[in-house]
Order: sequence, then structure tokens, then C-alpha cells
Amino acid sequence: MAEDINRDPLAGAGALWEALLALLPRTKEELKLDLSEKVERSVVMLLQEATELFYGGRRNECLQTSEAVLDYSWEKLNTGPWQDVDKDWRRVYAFGCLLKAACLCEASEDATTVAAALKVCDMGLLMGAAILGDILIKVAAILQTHLLSRKRPAQGPTQEQPSTKKARNEHVSIPDMKSERTVPRLHCPSLQYFRKHFLVPERPVILEGVADHWPCMKKWSLEYIQEVAGCRTVPVEVGSRYTDEEWSQTLMTVNEFISKYIVDEPRDVGYLAQHQLFDQIPELKQDISIPDYCCLGDGEEDEITINAWFGPQGTVSPLHQDPQQNLLVQVIGRKYIRLYSPQESEALYPHDTHLLHNTSQVDVEHPDLEKFPQFAEAPFLSCILSPGEVLFIPVKYWHYVRALDLSFSVSFWWS
Amino acid sequence: MAEELPGAWFGFGFCGFGQALGSGRARRVLSPEPLRAPGAGLDVYRVSASWSYTAFVSRGGRLELAGAAGGAAGGCRDAWASEALLVLLRAGPGPEPGAELQAWAPGSALRGEPLWVHTVEAEAEGDDGPGGKPQAGPLPLLPCARAYVSPRPPFYRPLAPGLRARRLELGAEHALLLDEAGQVFSWGGGRHGQLGHGTLEAELEPRPLEALQGLPMAEVAAGGWHSVSVSETGDVYIWGWNESGQLALPTRSLAEDGKTVAGEAAGLHEGGPDVKSTAGGEDGAPTPFIAVQPFPALLDLPRGSEAVKASCGSRHTAVVTRTGELYTWGWGKYGQLGHKDTSSWDRPCRVEYFVERQLQVRAVSCGPWNTYAYAVEQEKS
Repeated sequence: MAEDINRDPLAGAGALWEALLALLPRTKEELKLDLSEKVERSVVMLLQEATELFYGGRRNECLQTSEAVLDYSWEKLNTGPWQDVDKDWRRVYAFGCLLKAACLCEASEDATTVAAALKVCDMGLLMGAAILGDILIKVAAILQTHLLSRKRPAQGPTQEQPSTKKARNEHVSIPDMKSERTVPRLHCPSLQYFRKHFLVPERPVILEGVADHWPCMKKWSLEYIQEVAGCRTVPVEVGSRYTDEEWSQTLMTVNEFISKYIVDEPRDVGYLAQHQLFDQIPELKQDISIPDYCCLGDGEEDEITINAWFGPQGTVSPLHQDPQQNLLVQVIGRKYIRLYSPQESEALYPHDTHLLHNTSQVDVEHPDLEKFPQFAEAPFLSCILSPGEVLFIPVKYWHYVRALDLSFSVSFWWS
Repeated sequence: MAEELPGAWFGFGFCGFGQALGSGRARRVLSPEPLRAPGAGLDVYRVSASWSYTAFVSRGGRLELAGAAGGAAGGCRDAWASEALLVLLRAGPGPEPGAELQAWAPGSALRGEPLWVHTVEAEAEGDDGPGGKPQAGPLPLLPCARAYVSPRPPFYRPLAPGLRARRLELGAEHALLLDEAGQVFSWGGGRHGQLGHGTLEAELEPRPLEALQGLPMAEVAAGGWHSVSVSETGDVYIWGWNESGQLALPTRSLAEDGKTVAGEAAGLHEGGPDVKSTAGGEDGAPTPFIAVQPFPALLDLPRGSEAVKASCGSRHTAVVTRTGELYTWGWGKYGQLGHKDTSSWDRPCRVEYFVERQLQVRAVSCGPWNTYAYAVEQEKS
């Protein structure tokens, strides 16, 4: 590849490339890796070599070197429990993604390449950790804008109109709740009232009038979600429930998820579950708020984990408990939810493995009472959570969730 | 190893730090190439490869390093390379037959002082080889077989007194041990099934593999997250993570990439899982992809071959057969399978380079992303 020495090595072809360059540090000296000694010297050397190649305009070699950085750090990310993975290894991974995505876009600005670069950014956001002032979010936003601006003229509005597809409702079993004790409901309680009567005594409650005016309640639809997040890569759980043998996790774009698991009579159950979508796509975060009740906890606001739960009718979360307080906001569709107090844990027969010790062995709506006799007598509360409503699930409270419709929920975990 | 025609070492796979593979400064080598300096020219009997550098130990006791770590030293009996530590077993300072275990920072080029030193007593028990030198397997197992070296602190790890270790191998988060009676033990992290006890639970202490009890094993090898053992009768047992096909079981990732080998007719083995290269049959029959195999599975090598040696990289596996063939499978992106390309394979595939040149492979040693094989010329019949 003959290169003119006088030519700026980073001079590229199009507007997208210019926009990306503007985000990156101007010179390799300004690109601070800032990695601790936990990261092996050899990898730091390779990463420095990659940045040198990048700023030297040697794109193909930079791609190869970045690839090796990605492959090696990927192995580190898969060693030991996720929470024990050193954050710096995740930063190394993110740097690799940044350089790879940039190199891809320097070569070409066609839709396939940009989509691939966006996927790389999303991998960096999913598995990596923040670098250079969260640069991957900004890069992803530019790539997404570029993709959308190219797509709209060619295609009409989304072909599927799945929100009108009602045929599936025939198969939904709405639980007969006549004999069940329901979760109490309150309209906009004061913080003090909530704390005194529900937070401290650890009792579930449905809060009405708290989230029903959030922008998401009016704005969110399949079309809107596809617009705002369609080309972004997200983790999807495939299989009826995570305790099944055939259950697996995979990655795909939101568009792929919707077309494969929501419209068109899906073969398997797919669930975009427990994903911090709002960190990945800041535009969506503007449609939600953080309920005031979360500030009754001990933690800081930036320690609150916000997860998206988006899936078709029929997704099931088996009976389980979480180590934090949870406020579950329902946005689209309804969910049937059952709640058991931690005091009933013995009657819920948790798995004895370390991996699943916070999950019950019992299938709540079809319990094997021969195997799990005590379950029949365990008292519980239940409800159907509808759009606009917020359910408070106290810490360690066992909960079982089944989506009665196409559903989108947002959960707030706090301590 | 002394009774044969002298052989040579060959290498293939990742050499992005210049680890003496092949002829040029390529980042990866896709087909076996004779070692170049410093590995070439030495009568190398031990090759220990870490990700960014390789250590060669010759019969004369000379150690040479190639790659991101450089340097050389004498008086070495064994070496074990990892990114965090280079561990050497050197002849003791005094006249006694003891030895000294030294741990060096790889970047030190063996200059200055080692990070720590441990004196290893010679074993006085009767099973020693000629010359009174202890005969236990290579590092990370110490010659006394009472302890092993770990790249993470604590570096010196004693083994339970009841264990009579013959061989010990370390994966990314687990350990395998083969004892004198041919029984395999495993411990450490188990989230990918690499311990072989049928669960994903971790084990703090060495636990014998019940599934292999009564089958004397001759060899064990640990990959990043998978494990291999070879029985005295040449059978290969394999378990752990199969995400790149390193267990020679069908893996979803290869099928979706269209890279699963649809089956060389000669290579299909009876009784093995039926590999379909199309994902998820249209007829509704689920394709039996295996992501994790938590207890040992018996692997049939093509042509009914018997295995004698095995070694694993982070995500690939290499096996030497009794008749001198080398089979590799698993992750191939850096050419570590030696099949002249970068495909990954989820079934054993013979490295044709040696067959074409009538070379018999006698030993194999894998680094995380590369493979070194020792081969001799076939005797003229």
C-alpha cells in the first residue's frame, strides 16, 4: 500500500469519517490508555502498537492488531465470574472495539460496513467499560444516525403492524385470581408513607399515578423502538425459562429480535431481558425518569441499575429473588406477577447449586406438588401489572412474572 | 526419546510478537514451519509457550526465550512460560542433586534477580530415574511432585500429601492432575464444565473424576476452559467448553458461520454425534449443538487411531497418534490448527504437512494461540 509521506495519514473519504475523527484524540500521544498493572505488559504493548498504526494511517495492520487485542481481552473477560473481571481488561476490550470500528469506517461508508462497525461499538458497550469519556456511546450515535439517514428514503415505514395482531390472545391464559390475595395499591404516597409502611417492613405495593405520565407511556411502540434502537445489538435470552436446558443467550440487533421473536409467529420464546438498554441508547433514557422512592435507599443515584425487559406475550421469569430493592415500571402490555415473602423460602425449594440458589425449583403455575408438597400451602400476593403502574418488590422477595401481552417493563434496582 | 533419528520442532499459529515460528515476520503462520532461531539449532526437548513469548529448553540445559520476552540462560532443566511469570527449574547451586525453582518477570530478560526462589529437595525415594534425579512430570508440577507453581499468588502451592502426582496442567481457571495410578483429578472454576464432574460448580480441592475411575489414563492436558485425557489404551476423553469446537463436538458458532466441516467422508466416525452443517433443521429436528460438556465424552479419532500425546491451547486441541500423525481441532483463527487456513473446526482434522513429508510427529506442545510439534523422519521400511 503505497503511501504519500506528505499526505495526512488520517485523511479519509467521507463525512462519517470526519465526524468520527472529530471525536477521537487528535494524536496518539493524546490517546491516554491509562491502564493499571493488572493488564499484562504484552497486551499494553500491542494496544500501543495498534494506536500507532491507526494514527499512522495503516488501517489494515491496525485492524489485525486490534483483532488480537480483542481476542486476548475477550479471553480475560471470560475468565472467572463476571463481577471479578478487572475493569481494566474491559477497557482494553473497549479500546480494541474503538479502533476496529474506526478502521472499518475509514475503509467504507456503505450501510453494511457501518452496521458492522456499529455492532463492534455495541460489543464494546456490552462487554467493555467506559473509555475516553464514554466515547463509544458517541461513536455509536454517529454511526446510528448515518445508518438511519441512509435507510429512510429506501424503505417505507416498517412493514409489520404487529401491535394490531391479536390472534395470539386466544392462547393466553389469564390467571383466575378470584382466590388470590392481591397486592395493595396506592395512589402517589408520600416518601415517608411509603418508607414507613412498605419499604421498612418489606411489603410489596403497587404505586399508581407515579409513572403514568412518563413520555414512554405515550411514545413507546414497536415502530418507535425500531426507529430509536433497531440497528443496535442487544443480548437476547432464547428458551422458555432460564432454568431450562435449552435456554441460551445470544446477540442480535433489536430489529432482528422483533422480527424473529415478536412478529411472524415465532418458533421459540425470545426475551430481551435484564439489559441496561438505557446506558447503551441515551435517547431512550430521556423517555423515562427515576422514581423518587429510589432515593430512600443508601446508594447514590448513579448506582441505581436500570434494566429493560422487552418481549412477546408468554415470556416467563421463574420464581426467584434479587439482592436489591426493585421498582418495576410497566410501559407496554400487562404482566401477571406472583410474590412470596422471603420467610416462605423453605416452601419454595430453591436450587442447591451456587449458580441457581436464588431460584426456586417450582414451576409456579404448574407446580409438581408431589415433589414440592409445601409449595401448595405457601401464602402469596399476586397482581396483573398494567401500563403506567409501578410495583415495589422488596429486597429478596420472591417473584414470578409472566407476560400476558407484548410487554415492555423497566426495572430500577437500588439499595 | 533417545533411541530415534534426531527430529526437529515445527511451529504454527500466532506469532505476533516474533516467537520463532516460521520464516518471516508474519503475525501468524497457517501451516507448520521449522523453527527459526533461537529455537532452531538447539537440541530442544521442552517447549513452553505463553501468549507473547516461548521458552525453549535444550538437553544441554540451555534456555532460550523468543518473542516479547527475550534472553537466555544455562543450567536449566525445565521452564514454564506464562504472561505473569517465567518459572525455571535450574540445577542447584551446590553439589547436591537438589534443584532451584526460580520465578522471573518475563520482561527481565533473565537479568538481575528472580522475583522469588525456592529450593527443591531431591527425593530420596526409590522411584527415581538414573542419576538420582526426580522423575515427576514437567512444570508446573515440581520434581518432588509435592507442590506446583501457579502464575497467580500464592505461587508455590502444596498438594495434599495423599496425592501421588505424575502430571499437572493449568487452565485459565482450573487445574488437572494425573496421579501415579492413572486417576484424573480436577479443581478450580467449573462454570464451563471443565472440571468434568457433571456440574458447573467450582471445586476447592482436587476431586477425582468418577466418570474415568477404573480407566487408567496416561496423559492429561488443560486448555483455557477445556480438558483432555488420554487413556493407556489410546482413547481420548474430552470435556469443558466447546464454543469453538475445541471438544470436537458440533458447535453453534461454526454452523452459523457456515464453517462447520460438513464431513470428510473418510473422517466421519461411527457412533459420534451427527453433525449437520445447516443450523436448525427445517424439518423441525433440533441440531444437537453442544456449548458445554460437563463430564468426559469419548472422542473417536478418524481411522480408529490411538492417541499417545495431547496438548491444548486456550481454545484448540492437538493430539499425537501412535502412528505419528497429528490431529488438531477447535479455534483456528490464527492458524494454530495448521491446516493452511484460519478456519475453526469442530471435528479432528489431520495436519497433512507431516504426512506429505513423511514425518512422524512424536510430541506436541501448545501455547494459547499456537502449536509446536516435534517430528522425526519416518524410518525407511
